[in-house]
Amino acid sequence: MSHLSIFFRLIVRPMLRERARSLLMLSAVALGVAIVLAIDLAGDAAAGSFHSSLQALAGDDNFEVTADGGVPESIVGDLARLPWPIRVTPRIEDHATVAASGETIPLIGIDFIAQANDPDEVQLGAPNDTSIFDDINSPDAIWTTRSLSDRIGSTVTLVINDHKHAYTVRGFIPTSARFGGDVAVMDIDAAQRATGKAGRVDRILLKVPDQPGFAEWQQRLLAVLPAGVQLLPQGSETAANRRMLAAFRWNLRILSYIALLVGAFLIYNTVSVSVVRRRVEIGTVRALGACRRAVLLAFLAEAAIFGVAGTLLALPLGRLLADGAVRVLSTTVNALYVSSQPGTVGLSTGSVVMAFIVGIGVAVASALAPAREAALVPPTEAMARGRREYAIRVERGRDALLAFLLAIAAAFAARLPPVGGKPLFGYIAALLLVAASAFAIPALVTVLMPLLSAVLTKLLGVEALLAARSLGGSLRRTSVLVAMLSTAIAMMTAVGIMVGSFRQTVVIWMERQLPADLYLRPAGEPGGDRFPTIRPELADSIAMLPGIAAISRFRAYQIEYQGLPAILASVDLGPSQARDGTEFLSGRPSSVVLSQLDAGDSAIVSEPFANKHHVHTGDLLTLPMGVRAASFRVVGIFYDYGDEAGIVLLARSTMLRYLPDKAASSLAIYLAPGANLETARAEIRKAATGRDVLLLANGEIRRQGIRTFDQTFAITYALEAVAIIVAVLGIAGALISIVIDRRREFGLLRFLGAASSQIRRLILIEAGLIGILANIVGLALGYLLSLILIYVINKQSFGWTIRFHWPVSVLVAALSGVYLATVLAGLYPASIAQRLNPIEVIHEE
Amino acid sequence: MKSSPARLERRCALLLLVFLSIAGKAADYQLALPGYHYQFPRDNFNHSAYRTEWWYYTGNVTSSSGHRFGFELTFFRQGISLEANRSPWYVHDLYMAHFALSDLSGHRYEHAERINRAGPGIAGIDAARQVIWNGNWRAHIGERSQQLQAITDAFGIDLSLASAKPLIVQGRGGISRKAAGIGHASHYVSLTRLLTSGSVRLNGADYRVTGTSWMDHEFFTGSMSSDESGWDWISLQFDNNTELMLYRMRHKDGTIDPFSSGSYVDASGRTTFLSASDFSMQPEDDLWMSPKTKGRYPLRWQISVPRFGLEGTVTTALRNQELTSKFGPSYWEGATVAAANQSGVSLHGVGYLEMTGYAAGAANTKFP
Repeated sequence: MSHLSIFFRLIVRPMLRERARSLLMLSAVALGVAIVLAIDLAGDAAAGSFHSSLQALAGDDNFEVTADGGVPESIVGDLARLPWPIRVTPRIEDHATVAASGETIPLIGIDFIAQANDPDEVQLGAPNDTSIFDDINSPDAIWTTRSLSDRIGSTVTLVINDHKHAYTVRGFIPTSARFGGDVAVMDIDAAQRATGKAGRVDRILLKVPDQPGFAEWQQRLLAVLPAGVQLLPQGSETAANRRMLAAFRWNLRILSYIALLVGAFLIYNTVSVSVVRRRVEIGTVRALGACRRAVLLAFLAEAAIFGVAGTLLALPLGRLLADGAVRVLSTTVNALYVSSQPGTVGLSTGSVVMAFIVGIGVAVASALAPAREAALVPPTEAMARGRREYAIRVERGRDALLAFLLAIAAAFAARLPPVGGKPLFGYIAALLLVAASAFAIPALVTVLMPLLSAVLTKLLGVEALLAARSLGGSLRRTSVLVAMLSTAIAMMTAVGIMVGSFRQTVVIWMERQLPADLYLRPAGEPGGDRFPTIRPELADSIAMLPGIAAISRFRAYQIEYQGLPAILASVDLGPSQARDGTEFLSGRPSSVVLSQLDAGDSAIVSEPFANKHHVHTGDLLTLPMGVRAASFRVVGIFYDYGDEAGIVLLARSTMLRYLPDKAASSLAIYLAPGANLETARAEIRKAATGRDVLLLANGEIRRQGIRTFDQTFAITYALEAVAIIVAVLGIAGALISIVIDRRREFGLLRFLGAASSQIRRLILIEAGLIGILANIVGLALGYLLSLILIYVINKQSFGWTIRFHWPVSVLVAALSGVYLATVLAGLYPASIAQRLNPIEVIHEE
Repeated sequence: MKSSPARLERRCALLLLVFLSIAGKAADYQLALPGYHYQFPRDNFNHSAYRTEWWYYTGNVTSSSGHRFGFELTFFRQGISLEANRSPWYVHDLYMAHFALSDLSGHRYEHAERINRAGPGIAGIDAARQVIWNGNWRAHIGERSQQLQAITDAFGIDLSLASAKPLIVQGRGGISRKAAGIGHASHYVSLTRLLTSGSVRLNGADYRVTGTSWMDHEFFTGSMSSDESGWDWISLQFDNNTELMLYRMRHKDGTIDPFSSGSYVDASGRTTFLSASDFSMQPEDDLWMSPKTKGRYPLRWQISVPRFGLEGTVTTALRNQELTSKFGPSYWEGATVAAANQSGVSLHGVGYLEMTGYAAGAANTKFP
């Protein structure tokens, strides 16, 4: 018998006959792969192809000079005078918010005059057009991308820091310039004035000749540069941000595999069912001389076909989903990591290949076990009269032992350190736990089913008894269904608990961290890497207002520490000390640590910073602070959930010694005892007339924080939902095949006098039983997984300690929703069973 | 030509197009007027009250192996704004510089230009530190000697200049006139014989060189007249320790302005002002057409100064010494030699020839 005819008899014919089953398997592959693809594509667009938008208009430079808080501008002159043929390009790099659209765009300040020297530089305006010089001393002249304004001479209102101002468009930036989205460019003088960065530039780009080589140039330059600046290969910041985003993407990608894992269970189940249903055909072809291998290959080929077809469906679906996901992801990337504009979502050859590998791989791997079983069907099957029930022995004892060993391995893996900053073993532990639970389920079903059936028989009558028996009888099918649904539930529960705990931790932390009555920040949108400032005069005048007890100025700078982005910040210790609730890992009271911080060159660092850079209390941190490098003694590590990159916090007086810029990123305002909040608000508003600032009361800023938090986890929720949908689909599909399988049984029941409503009831109870079992197992597994998520995966990837918290209401709502969906999934199969004609069914026998 | 006289200057071909369009208002700046009292070393450096200023170094040097070079290094300052603004990035002046190396033996001409703002030490003039610089091109003007340093990817100089003669003030009454009328003049001083030694670098090879250089320093606010189209300027250092400088201002109609002038410095350093009637300088029919700008430059000149019994022919060893500028007009500025005869004694001279207003698209023809 040829392989082809075996394939036709065993696979093609049944495939066409059982369209519902085929459709189910197809959608399992398609949905799973689509999710993985969507997250991959969206991740690519939002973060993967990340190229700092601040690199706009940067040339083919070799080095960049940076310093914490900006490079003293005198270094520009020092570098320009060096007796080497190097190109020196100073830049102001900041952000502005377009008042009309609310869009935050990069604002780049370049030396238009020096720029003219370089024939390779991006030309603003036509070649050799020198009109750019006409506005050289104009503080209002900007050059923009065409999408920001329609004609030269029009005005664009930008919010920069706390200042809103109408700028006049003097020209357009050609689209060939290297950057992603909208950008505004000003002359360096105007940009320095607009951003308030007197005396400093954000970056100096250097282009050196090819000879005598990169390393030699590096040495030469290091020898002449002051210790307070760092010399890095150009694009280091982009690379540092990419490294940080890579971890974020990695976790996201893992999350997307949940849907695939659930899909794998579904495929496994579907193929298992179909193997049973085709035993006669298998027996026949075996009897006609087909070898075992041919049967095995036929089933694997079937899986592969589903893999290919499912992936073909997944490509457009994934592309579509990615469009939706990219917005959400981009919001997160901007809020937490780095200012960037999402790239376009595009199917690359690489992503298509990846999708096919994943799709076919998952389909074939999931079908492997049932296909092997099919190969074991003896030829005598074909001779057997009638159809055999779907009942295969399950080695409960062996599986339970395996589950136990897997659980131990999981516990062991959870204790291992991260690999390259990624919680690889954490994920392996989670996977092992899922596998352990899958193997434990048959034993659990055997234990739980009699209990459940006893209870249910009392409550629901004879149909419940029949349902429980049926499920217990076909242990393996039940186990797979329960495993599939419980895995999805466990993932949902685990992520639910993790996010709930995280949220609660953040809420409590914010209460402690935000002791002031009012907060003032510039209207310019802050983000993961941008900290617009408030002019010092405004802070001073607010401090003098009646009813104000004190203000505390917080100032933050984006820095790069050991190749990773971080934040260097300072705060007025005086006013906040009394009410400060900062908690330290050491457990020491904050008043003690903060008084140490106030003295000398001391710093405290946030927990994520300490974890990322292996910093301990007592260590010295050396930071490039412009002209000289400064060392700070770490006097404490504090809990912080505000920034993943990590914070180095100094006393404001310490910071001002190195970075004399007095502007604050935000103000915490403390009211005098008995002062009226609304009166104070009005007074502050009056003082801030002409400045574009936001004044938020304590409660408002907390709500805003929580909103950002929820936004961040929106994608997580979406992924969970898809996993659940796949699982519920699987239940529906499985129940359909059960109904078809048990036509004879149902027919007989009907023949024996069962009402069709009783059959319906029977199937719904079976669905409900599966739901209950899956909920129990899923909740237990989910709890364990949440521990891994909270204490291993989150800790290792982000470095923060989350305090465990049961999000009871969320869990109850989600689990009942899933339960309801499971029961509802039984409706359609039940209606099929109801429609069975008992005469016809019995006649078949 | 509709432009106001003040907007065009002598050597305006050297000024960028951008200068013309954005130069500060002439009325804000001082004119070069007679009676200026020179005071050194102060007057070696910046005169920010005048809109335009330049320091012009040219020279002929020879390596120990006989390789001959000419060089030009010029620092320009153009006033943009006199506003009191203390930001270092605010543009009070634009600084431009031209640097050219003529490989006379190798028949190559290299040149570079740059433009900068003062910025935080990027370019400028510092009397206290005695330097005039634009990036890493610099002139240090000491009491007794000067140092010139400039490099590009391909060529560079590092020269020490010692003046063999005292500084001279060109023109009469402290001004060098370019046309009739008040203000069509500049304050103009020269060092006519700078004994030069140091090194020249070209394409990775270093040459130890010695030779003779010339320095001009001028400051003014608008000097050329509106009917002038350019000028021809010659400097010569003869082997009898005398020097000659001649310039003629050309009108658009081809005539020569009667305020063209020159100076003769004798071996003892005594300077004689030469008015237009005291000398002649005539181009001969030896034109070189620039392939880049299509400008046609006369490369052979007959000169005579009857008062000193001096006559001769100025020629060049390298025909293409045109400095084509990215920003503004281009001009020919090259090393020359002179075969002369003074009262029956034959003299040999080296020097520089500058010709402006010939290139197509020169500022004064294109910009009103």
